[in-house]
Amino acid sequence: MRLPPDFQFTQANLQDFVDCRRRFLLRHVRRLAWPAIESEPVIENEQLSEKGARFHRMAHQALIGMPFERLALMLNEPELAGWWTNFQSQALPEGRRYPELSLQATLQGYRLVAKVDLLLVTPEGRALVYDWKTSRRRTPRQYMAARLQTRVYPYLLTQAGAQFNAGQPFPPEVVEMIYWYAGFPDAPERFAYDDDRYRADEAYLDDLAGTILSLAEQDFGLTPDAGQCRYCVYRSLCDRGVQAGSLDDWDEAMGAPDESGGNLDFEQIAEIEF
Amino acid sequence: MFSFMGEITLSPPQAELARLPVESKIFLEGPDGSGKTTAGVARLLGLLERGVPGASILLLVPQRSLGQPYLHALRTASLPPGSPVALHTLSGLAQRMVELYWPLVAEAAGFAHPDMPPVFLTLETAQYYLARLVRPLFDEGFFASITLDRNRLYSQILDNLNKSAVVGFAHTQIGQRLVSAWGGEPGQARVYQDAQECASRFRQYCLEHNLLDFSLQVELFVRYLWPDEGCRGALLETYRHLIVENLEEDVPVTHDLLAEWLPHLDSCLLIYDQEAGYRSFLGADPRSAYRLKALCPQRVTFTGSFVTSPMVIALGECLGRALQTGSQAPASPPPGTSETSDSLPAYQAALSFEVQRFYPQMLDWVAGQVAQLVQDEGVPPEEIAILAPFLGDALRFSLANRLERYGIPARSHRPSRSLREQPPVQCLLTLTYLAHPGWALPALPTQFDLAYALMQSLEGMDLVRAQLLAEKALLRVDGQPRLLPFERVKADLQERVTYRLGERYEHLRQWLEGYAQAPAQELDHFLGRLFGEVLSQPGFGFHANLDAGEAAANLVESAQKFRRVAAVGLADLGKPVGQEYLEMVQDGVIAAQYLRSWRGEAQGAVLLAPAYTFLMSNRPVEVQFWLDVGSRSWYERLYQPLTQPHVLSRNWPEGKHWTDDDEYKTSQEALYRLALGLLARCRRRVYLGLSELGEQGYEQRGLLLRAFQRLLRAAPQEASGV
Repeated sequence: MRLPPDFQFTQANLQDFVDCRRRFLLRHVRRLAWPAIESEPVIENEQLSEKGARFHRMAHQALIGMPFERLALMLNEPELAGWWTNFQSQALPEGRRYPELSLQATLQGYRLVAKVDLLLVTPEGRALVYDWKTSRRRTPRQYMAARLQTRVYPYLLTQAGAQFNAGQPFPPEVVEMIYWYAGFPDAPERFAYDDDRYRADEAYLDDLAGTILSLAEQDFGLTPDAGQCRYCVYRSLCDRGVQAGSLDDWDEAMGAPDESGGNLDFEQIAEIEF
Repeated sequence: MFSFMGEITLSPPQAELARLPVESKIFLEGPDGSGKTTAGVARLLGLLERGVPGASILLLVPQRSLGQPYLHALRTASLPPGSPVALHTLSGLAQRMVELYWPLVAEAAGFAHPDMPPVFLTLETAQYYLARLVRPLFDEGFFASITLDRNRLYSQILDNLNKSAVVGFAHTQIGQRLVSAWGGEPGQARVYQDAQECASRFRQYCLEHNLLDFSLQVELFVRYLWPDEGCRGALLETYRHLIVENLEEDVPVTHDLLAEWLPHLDSCLLIYDQEAGYRSFLGADPRSAYRLKALCPQRVTFTGSFVTSPMVIALGECLGRALQTGSQAPASPPPGTSETSDSLPAYQAALSFEVQRFYPQMLDWVAGQVAQLVQDEGVPPEEIAILAPFLGDALRFSLANRLERYGIPARSHRPSRSLREQPPVQCLLTLTYLAHPGWALPALPTQFDLAYALMQSLEGMDLVRAQLLAEKALLRVDGQPRLLPFERVKADLQERVTYRLGERYEHLRQWLEGYAQAPAQELDHFLGRLFGEVLSQPGFGFHANLDAGEAAANLVESAQKFRRVAAVGLADLGKPVGQEYLEMVQDGVIAAQYLRSWRGEAQGAVLLAPAYTFLMSNRPVEVQFWLDVGSRSWYERLYQPLTQPHVLSRNWPEGKHWTDDDEYKTSQEALYRLALGLLARCRRRVYLGLSELGEQGYEQRGLLLRAFQRLLRAAPQEASGV
């Protein structure tokens, strides 16, 4: 498969490939605009997404030094205000902070890129990769463990983070991925990293990208899990249904680690913008 | 020649520049095609190779397309892992910083609701708000003496505001500057005052509602954020290395900002094109740019061309002289030109033409020549550009159609394309009226609209059946449009339409009726449902129709952006945003132009483009065709009764009147720059499409044609007439 000249791998498009090869082809190779409704209830989902984006913006503003109390004046919605209170009261470790940090490395001749919400390097040399989550339910650990994001972010920081460690790559052992849930501030999900994981991720990502490049167009088949198609805008193009699924159903369905969350990106607002 | 990083080949001067120490501040100038951008790319890759973090490098360009060579190199080069290089325009940088630092400056800048987030306006939505403010003023006699499409009036008012922001004067001085340079009919002064009043009211409205058009974004950045210690400090700390491409195409406030920024940088490379300044109508100011040369200790000048053949260079010299004959010459002749007569015959091989009587004959000739080039001479289609001063739909269609007959694909490159004129969009708008009968304007949709929509939306429906069905099926109940159930259509018509199509019609009708009975949804949500649940399903016209999908996506995006912005002002009126959107579409205020999503350079297709658009894409080709050579549009300004780009520039002396002589001189200079700029992007040959009568059927005798005639009279035996 020949990818577009400006194509770059991200955790999101790799996740799409893992979830449904056809969706990867349509969305990231053909870049097909298909404006069907993604999930129901559409207006609530849109509002949730906008609130998530505002939260990410405010977190960024706070991390570059704007006073919390000034930012708090901009809160005009209870759920967002609750998230903000939680954010304000969480105790981030001391250290150098790099909010909205972009990283890149080469993967099978293409760029692999990511934008992390916060990289925090502690005085002891620990490299903490934070990702703010604004979904209404706390995602099960085993589900997050299987997501591409959990593999790509620590891998990329190990590969491309020397600039933030006095010119030396971070050893995998000092890297940690932390999902911090704005609605569940006391229960962040933490994933330690080590050399074995780093090597496994390197091999896995290389293999994944290699597979994508080796496939012919007709090999980008539909996912066998037709339930996912309810949350995919291309469902009519693939003759996989008429109406969008409900976000509530999706949340419940994604309890099992081997089930995919479909096409929704509410948890990846910052990276979508990127 | 040197190979750099195994990826690009460099001349000795380019390699030397790339190898300069990291801590160098360089001003690089040269004519088009002299290899400046390649040197810039090599310099960028060299910085990265020497360990400079990508995130500390800012590429600043006047428009994003000019950053493509850098992005391409960054994607393809084997670069070390790290953080990516940033590419911004001034407005991109401004919007990013405004969004981030809004809470710190909103109050000081005079916004009425500093605790609410800013709302960024697109050109489309800015025009919408301006139209709302200005429309009532027409009844008060504003612009009474002007006969011009209202949307063009709106765009000129916005243009004035933009000029004030990028040139760096207060928006309250617009009218005064225009009036003081006017020496003609006294009535025009009133027009300028009206334009000032509209600009001031719009600015006030924006401040009251947290709306930021382009001009306010730039002003906020330049006047409030850049002087702010926090914001400025963050920029100075983040970006230690700066590469500025096409400095001469950027605006004076960018140059001001750079003048303050340069002393704080570790390195910079400012690239200046000596004969350009094509975007002066947008505020570009080469003179302002050139002052930055004094701030760079290392100054490098490239000469010659890596692009054009000696014949094309000779053609440029001769054409340049012919354009200058009988007029005041531009400030400086093109570098490298010679006055020797021995170059005269050399252009013969670089110029072809044939005079036709009528315009369509000329287009036939152009298509025939393109076919010959592609099919007989093996020129790749993407190495051919067909250029005209303007590229209207009719010309685009005529050319594409003719080329198609030869089996040659064409792509048009226009900065914008009318959204509402695309058939899938017309279909969606018609169905929207049927689903929202209360929103429909009187007599809309028409039977023709419905027939067209049925043809688009139902797979297998032809125009004859669609018209027959539309004639009977479109009802008006209390003045509102309704569709007749298929079962109530007369039996003979049912048979003629066919039951299969009738079934699809009925499915669509019932879906619309079901929707209409429930509370109305947001327009973009409605369109998304209609598209996803009906029109893109098997048996319907948009199923697997990728072009229809893209057109529908553009409409949904336009409606969504409008909702997010317009809801602010409509809340008090109690009017549905969707209804307002439809009215604005009908009025031509929005969706008249829509920026299409960026697509990669199409391989294997001939490019059809307006001349200036081609210039600003900065991509040379083997062969160019110049159409409408006799047209005055190659150099004359558009009729702009509310604005004047030269008078609103920083170079216009206060109180000096703009005269016919100034107009003529600037036109000549613009034509000179344009013609030589095009030739600098042509490797081998230029074909002139000449017709005695222009597209509108009138004889044309513009300056460009006259220059070619002078050139050919001087050496008739060398003219390569086909």
